[in-house]
Amino acid sequence: MNNWLNHHTQALKQVLSRMRRHAWSTFMICLVIGVSLCLPSLFYLGVDNLSKLAEHMQSDTEISLFLKHDADATTIQKIEQQLASNNAILHHHLVTKEEAWQQLKKNSASNQDLSETVQALKNNPLPDAFFIQAKSAAPDELETLKNSLQNIPGVEHALLNTEWVKRLATLLNLGEQFIFFIALLLAVVLLVIIGNTIRMQILTQKDEIEVSYLIGATNSFIRTPFLYAGVLYGLLGGLLAIAMMMLIMMTFNYSIADLSQLYSSDFSLRLLNSELFITMIGTAVSIGWIGAYLAVSKAIASFKLM
Amino acid sequence: MIQFDQVTKRYPGSDEVLRNVSLHINSGEFVFVTGHSGAGKSTLLKLIAATERPTSGTVLIANQNVSQLKASAIPFLRRRFGLIFQDHKLLYDRNCFENVILPLHINGTSGIEAAKRVRAALDKVGLLHKEKAMPITLSGGEQQRLAIARAVVSRPSILIADEPTGNLDASYAADIMAIFYAFNQVGVTVIMATHDALGISAKQSRVLHLSQGLLNEHLLHPTELEDNQASLENASVENSYDE
Ligand SMILES: Nc1ncnc2c1ncn2[C@@H]1O[C@H](COP(=O)(O)OP(=O)(O)O)[C@@H](O)[C@H]1O
Ligand SMILES: [Mg+2]
Repeated sequence: MNNWLNHHTQALKQVLSRMRRHAWSTFMICLVIGVSLCLPSLFYLGVDNLSKLAEHMQSDTEISLFLKHDADATTIQKIEQQLASNNAILHHHLVTKEEAWQQLKKNSASNQDLSETVQALKNNPLPDAFFIQAKSAAPDELETLKNSLQNIPGVEHALLNTEWVKRLATLLNLGEQFIFFIALLLAVVLLVIIGNTIRMQILTQKDEIEVSYLIGATNSFIRTPFLYAGVLYGLLGGLLAIAMMMLIMMTFNYSIADLSQLYSSDFSLRLLNSELFITMIGTAVSIGWIGAYLAVSKAIASFKLM
Repeated sequence: MIQFDQVTKRYPGSDEVLRNVSLHINSGEFVFVTGHSGAGKSTLLKLIAATERPTSGTVLIANQNVSQLKASAIPFLRRRFGLIFQDHKLLYDRNCFENVILPLHINGTSGIEAAKRVRAALDKVGLLHKEKAMPITLSGGEQQRLAIARAVVSRPSILIADEPTGNLDASYAADIMAIFYAFNQVGVTVIMATHDALGISAKQSRVLHLSQGLLNEHLLHPTELEDNQASLENASVENSYDE
């Protein structure tokens, strides 16, 4: 037991002093590992937050009710009364064609092409519209509500917004798959990088390994320091990745504060995702261990004395 | 303690280096292995140290048959020996102290106890003042003594030395021989390969002579020493003509 502990502390000490002696190359390897971990993790954070944003917007307005162009004030009032008395509706609000027109002009002001196009339109092409939030979020109930609203006189078109949310969800799903494969590819890259680094170290310690075997070293004595090296590369790379992500997020933070304000409300981006961080470190450490194990096992086979 | 029975050794793609060698070495003996270069001295020592396996025949070390040992047991068998290699195999990327501590790391000794033993071993070979020096800065004789310190640091009961005086001039060689005799005095078995008879002592010594793969055993008496030295020198001259 004591022996076992000795063996491990010695291996760890040896690796740490080696890393200190080659601080620069150690840093470079950890940087490569860190960046490789950062890429899929940032993608993941993006998709994760987009999904939540999508959910959030889905509950914002679910049905848009576009009125006929000739709808006059009394028609609008009648429709509004019907909406107010409808039990399935949580709340609704009217955006008149003038408001929409002003909004469009204002929004397009920053974009020259769009702004010119809008200016070129002499008449306001936009209809009056009600934006409605239903009490239920169930798709089929929304569908029946939409159909009943479609039949109200003066309504040109009722649009269920879940359509694009569904489409977005599919898109995000695709994004998740994409991230999965990117992560898988980068894991292979990391395995190769770490394996190769360990292989090079074994080569530079060839003499030591050879003598050690001759005077009675076990395979585990030879293997352990390299396994520690692999694990430490993973750990340091993982920590570096987290540091880099924190830095990137800090620069994002201000615009995100604006964004949250824009959507008023309870919505906030989940950026410091501790599960993600644990996963990143865990993955990096496992890959480090596996890469080192493969490299050192192959080397041990070639050192076989008899 | 060490017993060979009809041992034959052939390397992949080579002829038989050793043929039907049988021998027995007892605890506490001082045994020389002689023969010209390429006679198989190193091979014989490697078979004893369990760093090579016999092609046929049995090698028994402390009643264990090397051929039948599990691979996982071999390292523990090797730790019974202190090995001094023909080419030192010192590690030039670390200082003397760190070279000598390697066997202790391998057998799990560490800390103060390990440092104490390393210094004791360095002291025995007269290199205590050089513990921080890099091996490359040492003379040939000092490097050889460092190799001996590494071999004895884990206090093995058997020392196996492969031509430890090979490239040294006479006075250095005498120093080295004195160190081995001192260990033998305290009960350590010494098995030493040598291609010259310089070191062979004034005492009666046991000599295993290898020639064309066959083993000849004889005792060398002090009176024979000079004749023997001359004949061995002739052999090495012939040998250098061959090469
Ligand atoms: N690993 C090896 N592979 C193939 N042949 C070897 C190997 N080691 C030694 N030999 C051959 O075995 C013979 C004896 O070598 P060795 O035991 O080193 O002799 P010595 O130590 O007496 O000079 C030589 O012909 C040498 O070429
Ligand atoms: Mg030899």
